Parts: sequence; structure tokens; C-alpha cells
Amino acid sequence: MNSIRPFKKGLVLILMASLMFLTGCWGKREVEQLAPLLGIGLDLGEKPGTFLITQQFARPKKGGETGAEIEDRTFSVEASSARESIEKIAKVTYRTPFMGSLKVIVISEDVAKAGGFNDILDFAQRYSEFRRSMYLILAKGKAQDILNLELRSGLVPSMAIKNIIEGGEEISSFPTVRLGHYLTILGTKSTAPILPVLESVKPGEVMEYKADGNDEAGEIQIQGAGVLRGDRLMDFLTDEETKGYMWLENDVANRLINTVDLEESSVKFGGQVLKSNTKYKVKANNGKIELHYQIKTSIAIDEVLGLKKQLSGAEWVELAKGAEKSFAKVIESECKSSIKKQRELSLDFLGIGRHIEQKNSAYWKTIKDQWEEKIKDFPVSLEVQVTVHHSGMSSSSAVNSSGEGQD
Amino acid sequence: MERISPHQFMTLGAAVLMGTTFFPVASMVTGVGGRDGWMSVLPGLAIGIPYGLMIISLLEQYPQKNLLQISETLFGKWIGKGIGVLYISITGYFGGLLLGQAGDIYETSIMPLTPIGMFNLGGLLLVFYLVRAGIEVFARFSEVIFPIIIIALVLNIGLSIPRMEQGELIPILSEGIKPLFRGGIKVLPFAMEYILFLAGLLSFLPSGKKELGQLKTGVWRAVFLVGILDTLVVLIQILVFGPAETIRLVYGLLALGKMVEVSRTVAGVESLFLGVWLGALVIKVSAFFFTVTWGLETVFKLKGSKWNLAVSVIFILIALKFTRGPSLLLEIGLVDDYLILPFTSVWIVTLWGVSRWKKGAGVL
Repeated sequence: MNSIRPFKKGLVLILMASLMFLTGCWGKREVEQLAPLLGIGLDLGEKPGTFLITQQFARPKKGGETGAEIEDRTFSVEASSARESIEKIAKVTYRTPFMGSLKVIVISEDVAKAGGFNDILDFAQRYSEFRRSMYLILAKGKAQDILNLELRSGLVPSMAIKNIIEGGEEISSFPTVRLGHYLTILGTKSTAPILPVLESVKPGEVMEYKADGNDEAGEIQIQGAGVLRGDRLMDFLTDEETKGYMWLENDVANRLINTVDLEESSVKFGGQVLKSNTKYKVKANNGKIELHYQIKTSIAIDEVLGLKKQLSGAEWVELAKGAEKSFAKVIESECKSSIKKQRELSLDFLGIGRHIEQKNSAYWKTIKDQWEEKIKDFPVSLEVQVTVHHSGMSSSSAVNSSGEGQD
Repeated sequence: MERISPHQFMTLGAAVLMGTTFFPVASMVTGVGGRDGWMSVLPGLAIGIPYGLMIISLLEQYPQKNLLQISETLFGKWIGKGIGVLYISITGYFGGLLLGQAGDIYETSIMPLTPIGMFNLGGLLLVFYLVRAGIEVFARFSEVIFPIIIIALVLNIGLSIPRMEQGELIPILSEGIKPLFRGGIKVLPFAMEYILFLAGLLSFLPSGKKELGQLKTGVWRAVFLVGILDTLVVLIQILVFGPAETIRLVYGLLALGKMVEVSRTVAGVESLFLGVWLGALVIKVSAFFFTVTWGLETVFKLKGSKWNLAVSVIFILIALKFTRGPSLLLEIGLVDDYLILPFTSVWIVTLWGVSRWKKGAGVL
């Protein structure tokens, strides 16, 4: 007991001395001294081997109603590494950049086509402040231009991109790619990474809207995707091909879908996918191994177009069955276009190689070395089953009972 | 003489066995076993069970003696002392390296600008206090901290489920079972670290018939609990990152913690996990500090605060020698594979075999 007392006294003295002489943690940064980084844009620099790196920081909005309202502070510098760009920007800002808040990295088309952007991404996956949950996206045009847009929504472009990506599940028409997912796909070797594509929308390009008086776009949209070999962009997928990818990748949650482009049927439907599930199996067909996709989806009809007469209950049931077939044809067409593109590019962005490896690893071992060649003609079959869950709040559409004047 | 209860033996043993294994285990076993690596964790750690049971059977035969004292009895004074010197050197060096890891991980992950020595010194102060307080206090500390470690791990694993990638775990056993053996061998040193601690802890364990049974159960439980938890840790990393990324990530569990997000509101909980990790590290370093002090006392009759202080100095010097993270991790792996594994596996089996033989031959 006596031997403990001097020890405790010593300990108390050390603690008191620590309190007086140590001011806190080394490297401690108060939150108001930080500049939260929201977005990074990558463009090609003028000098060979350099990037034009745009960094978008958040700053509290002056006079904002709440503390959560932010404005952007965006800088672009030419640098050959991410650290060099931060050093250059740190000479201008008085706040310390904080990377933990980074939401999105926008990679321009030119950078992606030139390849080699993994070197810059290395910083984002290595430096401890970053999170692997940030989003990656390809930009048509310059990433710098997109991050400098003044959007009509008033949102900082990085936050607008993040919001569109996170709301994307409701339409399931483009893939969501986080840094972690991208790195995992890179690790599979046989699968080609895919990134969604972002573009600015000027009035009249995709939609009409009242411009703010200048020639700049006030809106952005995500549509389609880019297919990469490693970190080099090989080609873009159209909207239809991307939607096909989403079905085959079992990534569809609540797609909005319509059959307007189907020529076979005079009555067209619009609807929303309520749930969808894609399974696949590797099976032998006439002595050849093939991959068979089975898509089962449940759709609610929200819209009926071109219906000219009132239908009886039995007729309505038949029409709904016809709608199932129409929806299935649309889904099939989207999937087929995606498979066709994969064959054209000879790049396995659908991950078919991984599916074969998962289901029949012995067979995969025999073909994996020639996989890029095999992709071109590897047999893939498709089965789509659509169930119309309901047809909304009414059965027949509102038409004149005699049908007159409806034409 | 201090004593710890069978329950404390179980939790303390599990805490020491678990130690900081949950950080490197995924990268290690996936590196050699690929996507099937997770299956090799439990069998690899289970090797600790026969070794633990051999030690308990020696306790039955030689109550209140540690394995160094038993070695002197069975092999003779000088061979026994030689083993003691090896025991002290290996556990002391390894303990110092683990202390160095405190600095490495904090500097790498959340506090990059704080001098590395501060983490080492802070960790050592805790360890020193625990060692000075004795094995009973250390056991009680483990009883409090170990459940928190489990809860934090389970939370980290559970909250990472939404980040899982599709089908990363399959195909299963596509490369046969050879990779599992290689993975199991990678995990063996973890079990042997636990056995080294048991070798010294032996003299603090009760040796009544009922308690011996409870101690044996304690070994089983500790190994299975830690084995299952470490297996889950490897599983979730393969499921989230895929095998290639799991191998590449130095502190994969920390990367998982960084990805945890609850309702897009709560994020950045990795600091909490790191706090828990510090608790686990303190337990592991303390265990090796204890083994050094027990060894010094048994072999050289050196005990007391000044020798504890001397051991502290050696620990901190070893820790500070390895300020380069990659070389520290490499050194820990080398000590595990080429010192702890061969030394412990041969020593315990030989000791147990000789004891059985002498007992059978009526020499003792």
C-alpha cells in the first residue's frame, strides 16, 4: 500500500503538468478552420503529364437562413499530382482542406480517353481522410466547366451531382459507382469498369427552361455510361444500353418504363417497376456452355395510351396481359442492346466472366485467358417475366362511350 | 500469490488471443487463400486448443508453476534457463513491436501530424500501470474491455452489410483446399502468441479438479469465440472489398469503418473503432509485458518496479526503432512466422511429451 502512494503522487503530478503544458492534440484543427472539400474535377492539363484539377469547397452562405446553406469556393490548378494541387490551392485559401467530406470525383471525357487517372485516384484511396464511399462520374466536356456551373436549383454543383446520384435509385437508369466499387471491379481483372456519364444541359438541348440570361447551362443530367479498360475510356453506352446493363446487373429498383416505341401494339403503356430480380445460370445448350439470364419484374401500370373504347372486366385482364408482353419486349430490347454493345467492344462490362467463374469455375479456368476474344460470341440467352401488379386507380381510360371523336 | 478465476482466464485469454488480430487477419489469409481465405481462420486458431490443453495438463501435474519453471524441472537448470532467455527475448521484442503499431496505425489513419512517439508513450503508460497493478487488475480490465471490443466489431460488421458487393464470396473452394492450409498456417502464430502468454500465466491459475475442467472449457471458448469473430471480420471484408482489395488494404477494418453510414446522417465512426482497437492493443502489449516480467523473475530472479521500468524503456526503444510503418508490419510478420511459431510449437509439444514420458517411466 505504501509503495503505491508515491507512484500515485507521481502520476497526479505528471497529469497536472500535462494539463498545464500540453494544449491539446498535435495537428488539431477547429471545424471553422476547415474547408470541406465537396467535389474534385479532373481535366487534362496543358503540359503533358499534368491534370487540371478543380477542387470545390463548401463555405457557409452569408445571410443563409440555416447554417446548412452553403456556397461554393472553386479553384482549378494545373498539377501533376493531387498533393501538388492541394499545395497550390492551400497558398490561396486560409482554411485547411478537409477531404473527409468529399462527395464526388468528376472525370472529364478527355482525361478518361487519355487514361491514367488511377494515378490521381490513388491519393483518394490512400490518404486516410478520404472515404471509399465517394462517387465517381464521367463528364461529357470539361469537369471544370461543370463544377463551375451556376445551377438554377441554387445548389453547389458537387452537391447537385450527389443528390442526382442518390436519387437515381428511383429511376434506376444509370449505375451508381462509388470509389470502393470501382476499385473492387478493377480487382476482378475480367470485368470492365463502368462509370455513369454527367453532362450539362442548356435550354433546348434536352428540355426547355427559362435561362438566366447567359449562355451557360443551368441544369445537369446523368444519362448513359462510359465503359473503361482499366482506367481508359473505350466507349460510351447509350441510354438504352445503360438501362440494359442495369437489368442484367440486377440493379433495378424502381425503373420508370414505357412501351411507346413498340410498333406491334396500338395501345401503349407507361409504368413503374415495383420490384425486380435478375438471376443467372451457366448451362449447357447443344453441347455449348451459355449464360442464361432470368429477369422477373413486377410493374404497376400508371399510364395507358391509345385506348379507344371502354373495356369489360375480362377485356381489361387481357389488355393487362398484353401489357406484360409489351413491357417484357422493352426490357428484352434494352438487355439485348447492352449485350450487343459488350460484344462489339469485346469488353466484359456486364461481368459475364465473373458469373461464369461463380457458377462453373472449372470451365472458367479453361477460357479465362482468352476471355476478351470469347466475349464476342459467347452465347447469352435471356428470359424476361413481367407481372403487372396493378393498373392504378382506374381500369379503362376516359373515352367517349361511343368512341366517336377519339381519333 | 495472485489468482484469477476460470471466467477471468477465459475472457483474458480471449482478449489476448484476439488482441489486434482483427486488423491484419483478412489481408493475411486472403493473400494466401484467396476468396476462400475466411475458411482457414477458425481451423488455424483451433490449433491453440490442443496446445492450451497440453498446458492445462502440465498445470495439473505441476500446480502453481509456470512453463519456464517446469522446463527447468524437466530439462535441467541450464536448458531451462536457455529457454527462459529465448522466451523473454521473443516476447519482449514482439511486445515492443506491437507497441510501435500503436503509433503506426494512429498516424496512418486519424492523427497524421501527431508525433508517433506520443502514441507509443501513451500506450506504454497504460500498459505500465496495468502491469504494476497486477494480473488480477489486468484480468478485470479485460473483462470490461473485451465485451466492448466484441460489440464494436459486431457493429462494424453489421453496419457494413449495405456495402456488400454481389457474389464476391463465390465460387467456393474453386482452388481446392490447399489455399486453406496456407491460410491456416498464416493464422497459427496468433494462436501461438496466446500460448506464450498462457505459459507464463499458468502459475496464477487455480489447480483444483473442478477449476481445471473450467480452465479447459475456457480454452475452447476463447479460441472459438475469437475464431468466429475473426472469421466474420475476414468474411465481411471479402464481401465488401472483394479479394484483391482485401489483400491490398493495410487496415481493411478501418476502411470499412470509414464507409459506415447510418441513414446518410451518422458517418465517420472509425475513430470510435480505433479507440476500441487501442484497448485491444493495450491488452496484447500488457500480456507480453507480463510475460517478460514473469520470465525475468523466473530466470534471473529480477522483480520490482525498477525492472518494470527497464522493460518499459526496452519496449519504447523497440517501438521507436520502427518508425517506418511497412517495415514494422514486415518485422511483426517475421517474428510471428520465424520466431514465435517454431519456438512455441516445438517447446510446448516437447515439454508436454517429456513430462508424459517421465510420468510414464516413473521418473517423476
